[in-house]
Order: sequence, then structure tokens, then C-alpha cells
Amino acid sequence: MPEQLIWGMEVFFNGLMAGVLYALVALGFVLIFKASGIFNYAQGVMALFAALTLVGIMEGQVPFAHLINAIFGTEIHHFGWHVPGLLAILLTMVVMIALAWAVNQFIFRHLVNQEPIILFMATIGLAYFLEGVGDIMWGSDIKKLDVGLPQGINGPIDELTYNIFNYGFFIDNLDLVATLVAALLVIALVIFAQYSKQGRAMRAVADDHQAALSVGISLNFIWVMVWSLAGFVALVAGIMWGTKSGVQFSLSLIALKALPVLMLGGFTSIPGAIVGGLIIGVGEKLFEFAVGPMVGGATENWFAYVLALLFLVFRPQGLFGEKIIERV
Amino acid sequence: MAQSSEAAGGLASIPALLARNAREHAQRPAYREKEFGIWQSWSWAEAAQEIEALALGFLELGVAEGDFIAIAGRNRPYFYWAMVAAQCVGAVPVPVYQDSAAEEMAYVMDHCGARFAVVEDQEQVDKLIEVQDRLSEFEQIIYVDPRGLRKYDHSVLHQFSEVQEKGRAAYDRLGVELAARRSKLSYDSVCVMLYTSGTTGKPKGVVLSNRNIIEASKSSSEFDHLTKGEEVLAYLPMAWVGDFIFSIGQAYWNAFCVNCPESADTMQTDLREIGPTYYFAPPRVFETQLTNVMIRMEDAGRFKQKMFHHFMDLARRVGPDILDGKPVGMIDRLRYGLGNLCVYGPLKDTLGLSRVRVGYTAGEAIGPEIFEFYRSLGINLKQLYGQTEASVFITLQPDGEVRNDTVGVAAPGVEIKIAESGEVFYRSPGTFEYYYKNPESTASTKDPEGWVATGDAGFFEPDTGHLKIIDRAKDVGKMADGALFAPKYVENKLKFFPNILEAVVFGNGREMCTAFINIDLTAVGNWAERNNIGYASYQELAGHPQVLDTIRGHVEEVNRSLAEDPMLAHCQVHRFLVLHKELDADDGEMTRTRKVRRNIIAEKFADLLGALYDGSDEIFTTTEVTYEDGRKGSISATLKLVDAEIVPVEPARVAAE
Amino acid sequence: MLDQTEGFVTEDGRKIGPVVMEMKNITLRFGGVVAIKDISFDIREGEIRAIIGPNGAGKSSMLNVISGFYHPQEGEVWYKGAKRPAMKPYQVARQGIARTFQNIALFEGMSVLDNVMTGRFRQMTSGFWAQALWKGPAEREEIANREAVERIIDFLEIQHIRKTPVGRLPYGLKKRVELARALAAEPSILLLDEPMAGMNVEEKEDMSRFILDVNDEFGTTIALIEHDMGVVMDLSDRVVVMDYGKKIGDGTPDEVRNNQDVIDAYLGVAHD
Repeated sequence: MPEQLIWGMEVFFNGLMAGVLYALVALGFVLIFKASGIFNYAQGVMALFAALTLVGIMEGQVPFAHLINAIFGTEIHHFGWHVPGLLAILLTMVVMIALAWAVNQFIFRHLVNQEPIILFMATIGLAYFLEGVGDIMWGSDIKKLDVGLPQGINGPIDELTYNIFNYGFFIDNLDLVATLVAALLVIALVIFAQYSKQGRAMRAVADDHQAALSVGISLNFIWVMVWSLAGFVALVAGIMWGTKSGVQFSLSLIALKALPVLMLGGFTSIPGAIVGGLIIGVGEKLFEFAVGPMVGGATENWFAYVLALLFLVFRPQGLFGEKIIERV
Repeated sequence: MAQSSEAAGGLASIPALLARNAREHAQRPAYREKEFGIWQSWSWAEAAQEIEALALGFLELGVAEGDFIAIAGRNRPYFYWAMVAAQCVGAVPVPVYQDSAAEEMAYVMDHCGARFAVVEDQEQVDKLIEVQDRLSEFEQIIYVDPRGLRKYDHSVLHQFSEVQEKGRAAYDRLGVELAARRSKLSYDSVCVMLYTSGTTGKPKGVVLSNRNIIEASKSSSEFDHLTKGEEVLAYLPMAWVGDFIFSIGQAYWNAFCVNCPESADTMQTDLREIGPTYYFAPPRVFETQLTNVMIRMEDAGRFKQKMFHHFMDLARRVGPDILDGKPVGMIDRLRYGLGNLCVYGPLKDTLGLSRVRVGYTAGEAIGPEIFEFYRSLGINLKQLYGQTEASVFITLQPDGEVRNDTVGVAAPGVEIKIAESGEVFYRSPGTFEYYYKNPESTASTKDPEGWVATGDAGFFEPDTGHLKIIDRAKDVGKMADGALFAPKYVENKLKFFPNILEAVVFGNGREMCTAFINIDLTAVGNWAERNNIGYASYQELAGHPQVLDTIRGHVEEVNRSLAEDPMLAHCQVHRFLVLHKELDADDGEMTRTRKVRRNIIAEKFADLLGALYDGSDEIFTTTEVTYEDGRKGSISATLKLVDAEIVPVEPARVAAE
Repeated sequence: MLDQTEGFVTEDGRKIGPVVMEMKNITLRFGGVVAIKDISFDIREGEIRAIIGPNGAGKSSMLNVISGFYHPQEGEVWYKGAKRPAMKPYQVARQGIARTFQNIALFEGMSVLDNVMTGRFRQMTSGFWAQALWKGPAEREEIANREAVERIIDFLEIQHIRKTPVGRLPYGLKKRVELARALAAEPSILLLDEPMAGMNVEEKEDMSRFILDVNDEFGTTIALIEHDMGVVMDLSDRVVVMDYGKKIGDGTPDEVRNNQDVIDAYLGVAHD
């Protein structure tokens, strides 16, 4: 088998893994969009915020340390304890739920029945606000995140592929874990939305507020729940990305990668988010591998957007989106 | 009466067959019904218990031997049980069309002097109460669904489950009596009485004995190799002889399972879920299904459409041959296999016909394209020719000898002869005993030797020995110039066009043929929608110039095909009109089984008929209609009379006998 | 004849119970416009209570007050013997007051079955985590609820559209699905906002039959709003007549029919 093809396969698999991470972020978008019609620009920042909080809690960082020190002239930075990963994740989730509550309480419940563009603007505001809060709370330095997920080259795959192709594939254990987690997350979400009381209520609220109220569904509860779910997905995405490339501001930029994913997959489809993520992940890696060297590389920066643009022209509702039919 | 054979193994009645099934197939499913979204099921042992409880309940209510018990409801296990329970106590079940008006129901109940009725719900109870005063012998009503009936006077009303409950409680007291009555049932006792709708006159009560039903069920089951593993969907009216044979006669003989749909509206879904192996439907049902498939394909994507048409062309070419086991090339076989994977399989599954091993249609002519469509998919759809008076079967098409334009060979045990007049006669073990309280009709239909006149004209094809039916014997008439007039033949040709729902052709004793036409609202409405033609009502659509044009095209095509046959060339339709209302059984224009009543229509629309022959271009008319709830109203319209082109033919030739 | 506190039996044998809801001197204003002016009436257990009046008489506002969508500036709502504090609509719904809407508010993207299942929201008691983890009790609860829903589907004869997305249904069927959803809540009071609006004669007759059957079979207390006087008179036990936000009549259909104010309001100058 020619070397190019074998390398291509390796790139393909790595692309799949990257795609899973895109999909995770896109999933957060879809959840909120489906339930409340809000396109949440802040989803990426929520992932960053979640990762920052997680690292902060684990390392016993004192929140708002800079602010406190500046005001009171103190020199505190750490509580001096370390919180184990699992507990820290639970605590972070509590923070994300509190955030969800606050977001609903102070912003979106006041914007019910507003134009989508207004809601979108509000999420942009939220994004910058959260970014700032994250900074002030936990500091802006790049942090390393390690909750104990396996990392590094996967031995068995390396061995197996070496035996077959005489060339060992480099597949990161972390990517494998991310894939597994993403798959579980999606299955759980679909079951939840289809068959549970709250899931049904979530779809009901997305469909018609008045009707939802009339059967006893509290809109505020559902919105807080949806934002919490999005927070949870953001936390998972934050953990994966943070472990892979460190917790830093650029984490929030992956949100922008989720945009083309959504254009491909459709804004309302959970499977769409997954497939879209995979296509973008594989597409950009393969494109970089095949075409990158000819045009001087860095195609990964724009490939996804061009692909999304093509989709917008030919299939504006995305691969899985609801068909846009205008009744005349 | 000739004793053609004796009951095998003491199985001389339906209750006897039930006892055998409960013994030998105790745990096998006997009935299923979808209720509350789930298929509920009863084994033969359970069914036997339910029936016994009801039979005891009947005794408790005072049902005497020879009593008639009317049964009116949609296909539900309870009503099949009621029929068998009635037989158990020596009474005669009389299933009645549940959608018949109170008047029609009253006629039947009065004619047989029914003392009891087992009905479905408030609707039927209301109908019976309405006519109760006129029925001197009528006593008690048993209903299945208590909804809305709580406030009714319950002195003559009983809930089905309570009757069963009382029956169970009375087992010690009445068990002996029940056993005694059951043991008296013989091959010659009455099994069921069915009223024929009749195209003219009042309905006649056809009395069928156990011998009739069991012999007919037995021989037809052997003919098609039916087993206890068959699944049937019972959805056709219970008052129709076919349902009695399929869902009781053959079901009890073979011990197979009868499945009842949740409601008339869910029939298609239930059909898919059950996947019957043995299936009967009138041509109309097959036609509707095909129309729906075609409409759905119109809306499908380009690729899907292409694939569909490609494989359907292939299927039309080789499908029937593959089904009949004739030699077909290897390549075509492979391609057909691929088509099965991509198109035929999924399509059959959607239609609910993927497991059908034996399928029948009958009652009227089926369009050749429709018939071929189903056969080309690999569905073994066949035709039979039958009558209530024959316990259904007169002729059947054997596997491998299936054709669209014949009705097959004589069913096992049936003798057929063609009279001088062309009318078809038969004699068989299934031949009915007599018409109830109507010796004149019995005598005029069935001669002392047991030969029965079918009222249909037909002939045997010399080469194949298959019977071909042309028309009702009395409808075959002569035109003014003596040429043969076979209106039904022409009507069927017209009705093969999806756009035409009904056609009524006139011309007996006249110079030329003319026709009334009903468009098919589904097909034409769909066409109108696709072409952005707005319409507010059936009437408006029926009068649209483009619709008239299309129909004229169809009529002219029929004329061309008629012209090819010298016997029928004179039946070409010279002028026609599209009626402003749909012909309806409620208005008496059709029978309940949707056969047109030509004479009644000619009388009712005499003004329109006159206009067709006096050469005028349009006519204004007003017609009285009956709404579903029985209220009357009227509609009026100005109808266009359209001339159709005809193919000139040889000078008139007198039709040969 | 209607002052029996413990209830009474109607001519056709139905039991009418004690007062379950009482509106006391309700006044509702939108800015300067008075929609409801000092109206009092009660609803008895098991009865069919109609509120009628010409368009713009304030009937819908009254229904919205009962269901908690509007909050009156003055007056009290008494429910099951206690004064009801100001409540959100969803809280009112959880107290057992289900409703339909004049313009139909269904979950268009969901199937008929799912729509009716949401009606059971009140009956689904297992907690968030039990639901999320799909534990045994939650599963049993889901099955029990599904059974209840299937009975209603059967009752209203909508089996054939069980799996159909509501958005594809014709108007008349949507109305029926909405009724099914409200019924699924097993409400103490069922509020129907112009249940016959936009229907043809046949559909109206069907709907009337369903309303009577629901009342008869489940003993459900029904309060309905209609402007079509004919339909209402055949259906209801007692009728409140409103005009210009005021109550101009209250009593049995016969009493109301002979009330001079009512005759004037309906036959007098039309005001839309």
C-alpha cells in the first residue's frame, strides 16, 4: 500500500477525533437553539469559563484573587488545597447551573418574545462579559488541565496498524475518550429529549409557550434546565479541549469552528451536529494533508468556512435541518 | 337435496370446529385486536371460553333455538364470538351492515323477526331504538361499548361483558342445556343468514347451512394450501359473505388467526403491523393504494423517481413471469433481485403486503394496470368469482394461471354450465339452502336439481377453460339497431382511468351510447393542485374545462379500444357529461357495495339523460341529496354536455347469441 | 332553584356538586380600558357552565383570569374553598385547571401522542434525576401515563393520527387533539375557549357530542366560552351572559333566553 494512502488514513482518523470535539461544542448550540430559539454565541466562552473554573477549583485557586489583592493589598492566591478531579467536576457543574440560573434570571427572562437578533446580541454581550469574569476570577495565564484522562499514543492501535501496514498510527488516547464520551452524551441527550417528562417539556416549550404554560410547565424552570444542559456540554467540551491544548483564551475561538459545523448539520438537529462536526474535522485535516503543502499550508484556518459557505448556497437548511418550506 | 358429503370427523358445525381448535391448538392465537394502541390477543382456548360465557349469557336472556340474533358492528372479536355463541345455543346469527340506515336495518330485522341484537355502540343502539316500535318480535339489545349509554333505559339493554359475566355465573345451572343444544347441531342446521344487498328490490336473506360453509371453506383452503399459520386482517363488512368465509369458515377450519384493526381509519397502519399472509380486498382498495403510491412518488426526489420507474419497468416485464415460475433470464433475475432490495421490498412493506402468500380480489373488474402492478411486485394476487348464494366460491384462479380478464376455473366441487342465453349456472356443496321467507325467489334462482342462476353472462375460453364474465345477464341489452349493448364492460374500461371514479353508460334501445361520469376527487384534485388550479368544491372541479378535456381524452381512448372489437364497437360513447355530485349509496344511486343502480340513476337524472340525446350543449339541473346525518338538501349546477370522437365502424351487425 | 349548597341532580340524572370555583367581584383593566367590570359567578362540580356574549364582551378575558394568564386588579378567585393567591398560569394548571385556546395552541412539531402526553405533565411526579436516569418507578409511571393517554385517544377517536405530527392535521382534528391534551391532565375544571370556532355544522355537532360525553363519562366540570348562542344553550347547565364587560344574565338556558337584557344585547345594535 502506498505510503501516502496510509498516512492519509491516519490523518482521516485524527480528523474524526478532532471532529468529535467540534461536534461537542456544536451540540451545546443546538440544545439552546432548539429549546429557546436563541443562537448562543457565548457557547464557546462557556466552555472556556467551565474549564477555567474546573482548573481553579482543582488547584485551590482563590477566585477574584487579583481583585481582592488590589483592593485589600493582600497577597492571597491559593487556598493551599487540591481538589480531586471528579469532585471538582461536580463543583464546576454546580457553578454552571448557578450561571444558567443567573443568565436566565438577569438576561433572558426579560427578553421573552424579542426578535432573534436581539437575543443574539445579548449572547454576544454575555460572551464578552463571561470572558471578562473568567479573567478576573481565575487570571489570564495559560493553565494546564489534567483530570486524569489518559493521554498520549494509544499502544494497541499503534501495534495493530504497525502489524498491518508496517506503519504505526498515532492516535491519541484522549481523542478516543472524547469520542466515547461524546457518543454517550448524545445518546443520553436524545433519550432524555424524547422520552422523559422534562425532555418532552423542553420540546413543548420550544414549540409553543402558551400551550406549555397551560399544561403546567414552568418556562423559567425549563430555560434554566436547558442552559444548565448547555453548561454541562460546555464543561465536557472544556475538559476535552483544555486537556488537549491547555486552558487558554483560544478555547473560546473553537466556538467559531462550531459555526460551520452547524451550517452543515443544521441548527436544530442533534445528529446533524455530530455528523457536521465529523465532516468538518475529517475534511479540514485531509484537505490540509492533501492540498496544504501546495498552497503553503494553514488551510485549516479557512477550509471549514468555505465548506459551510458552499452548503449555505446549495442546502441552506443543512444536512439534517428541517426543510424550509414557505407555504404560499 | 343431494347429500354431497358428510362432515369429516364429526366436525359438523362451527362450534364443533371451535371445540377442536380449543383442544388441539389451545395456545395458538385465534383473535387479535388493536385497542389502546396495543395488540390484545386471545388464544383458541380463551376464545372458546369467551364464546361459552356469552352463549350461557344468551341462555340466561332467554334465547330459544331457531331465534335470529342480529349483529351490527365493525370487525371486532366480540361480534365474531357473538355469531359463534348464537350458533352454540341453536340460534341463527344475522350480521347486518353497520353503516346501513335505520330503515334498512329495520327491514332486515323485521323480515327475520330477530328477537335479539348484538351491537357495537350508542350509534347502533339509537338506530334500533328509533325503529323498535315497528319490530313486534324484537326484545333485547346487547352492546359492547358503554360510552354514552349510561342514562339509557337498561330494562332491554345489556352490556356485552355483563351478559358474559351472568353466563359464567350460571354455568352450573345452564351448562347442561348448552351442551344439549350444541350436540343437536348437524351438518344441515343453519349456520348463518346473510342478506344480499341486491341491485334491485329488497334484500333477500340467504340461508347457509353448516354444510355450505364448512365444505366451501374446506375445499377452498385445500385449493390454496391454507394452514393454521395464516394471518388475516378482518376489515371488510361482517355482513358480507366473504368476511364470514374468511374470518369464520376458513379461520375455524384451519385454526388461523383473525386480526381486527383498531378503527376503520387505522386500517393501513394495522395492515402493515400485522402483515397478513392471506388477504382479500376489492379492486377499489387496490386501486386506492396504487393511487396513493403514485401520488407519493410524484412528490419524491428525482433520484427516487428515476429508481422507482426503472425498476417498475423491469418488474412489469419480468415480475409476473417470475411469480408464475416461468423461465426468466439470469441477468433479469439478478436485476429483479436488486429491484426487490431497493424498490419492491420497501414498497410492499409500506403497503402491508410483504408477507402475502395468497391474495384475492373480486366483486368487480380490476384494471389491468392495477392487477399487473401488484403481481409484478411479486404479490400473488388472484381473482375469484363468487356469490353469497354459493358461499363465495364459484371460480378461482389457480397459481400460475392468473390473468386479468378471466376469473379462473371452477372451484373444487363446483359444477358450472352456460345456458343458451349466455347466463352462467353453477351447482356445489356450498350452494345456499333457500331464501328466507321467499319461496318464489328461491324457486326462480335455484332449480330442483340444485343449479343456481348467477345472473351474469359469460363464456368459457376455448383454449384455457377459464371463465370470462361480460356483464350482468339482464344488463346485456340491444341497441336500436340490434347491436350488442354491454354497459358494464364499457364502464369498467372507463373506470380503469384513475381520474374516473364511476361511470354509468346508457344506450339500451337507443341509437348511440352516452355516459355519466364521476371524477375521482383524490386523483383529479391532486392534478389540480400540481397545476395550480384552484377549486372550492367537487362540483367546481368537475365542471372545470380542463378536467372535461382530460375526461374526453379518456373516453376517446376507450372508444378506440372498443372499435377494435367488432362485437362491442357499437358501444362507443358518443356524448358524456361529468356529474355535479358523487354517486352515493345514501341517495340510493349505488348499492352498499358500491355498484351503480343504472335504472334508478336514469330515472333520477332523466333531464340530464334527455339532454345527452337531444343535442343541447348545456343543461341546468337541481338534485336532492342526503347528508350523512340523514338531513336532506339540494344542489344545483349547470352541466356541459361533451361530444367525444368515435371511430367509424362497419354497418351494424346483429350481435351473435 | 340553584341555591343548593351541596349540589343537586339534573333532570337527565347527572349529579351536580357544590361550588368548586367562585369569582367574586372581578374587575380587569388594560390601561384605561375596562375589560371586565365587577363580575361575580360560580362554577359547580360536574356542571357544564357557559360564558356567552357578543364579540368583545370580555369572555376571553374572563377565561384568562380563571386560568391565570391575566390578573384582575380587583376581586377574588376562590378555588376549592380557598382564596387563590396571584398565580402563574403554569401553577394554575398544576392545580388541576386545564384549558384549550381559541386559536389552538398545540406543539405543532410533536406527534399527537406526544402532545397528549404533555397533558400528563401534572401527573408525572417522579423527580428530575429519576427521569434522567430512567429508573424503574419512572418507567412504570411512563407506562401508566401512556395507558391513560391511550384511553383518551380512544375516547376522542384519534387513533389513526396517533403518530402524526400535529402540524399536518386539519383544523377540526387539531381542536380535538387540544381537547385530548387538556383531558389528559384529568382536570378538576376544563376550560374551553370557543371550542366550536371556525367549524362547520358537522364538526360542531361532533365537538358538542364529545363535550357532553366527556362531562358524562368522566364527570368533568366544564366551563366554556362561545359566542354561538344556539350551540351553548343545548350543551350547558347554566349560562353567564356578558356584554361590554358586565354580567347581564346568569341562570339556566331557559332563564337566560327569556332575560330581556340578554335579548337586547343579542338582538340590539351589533357591536363588534
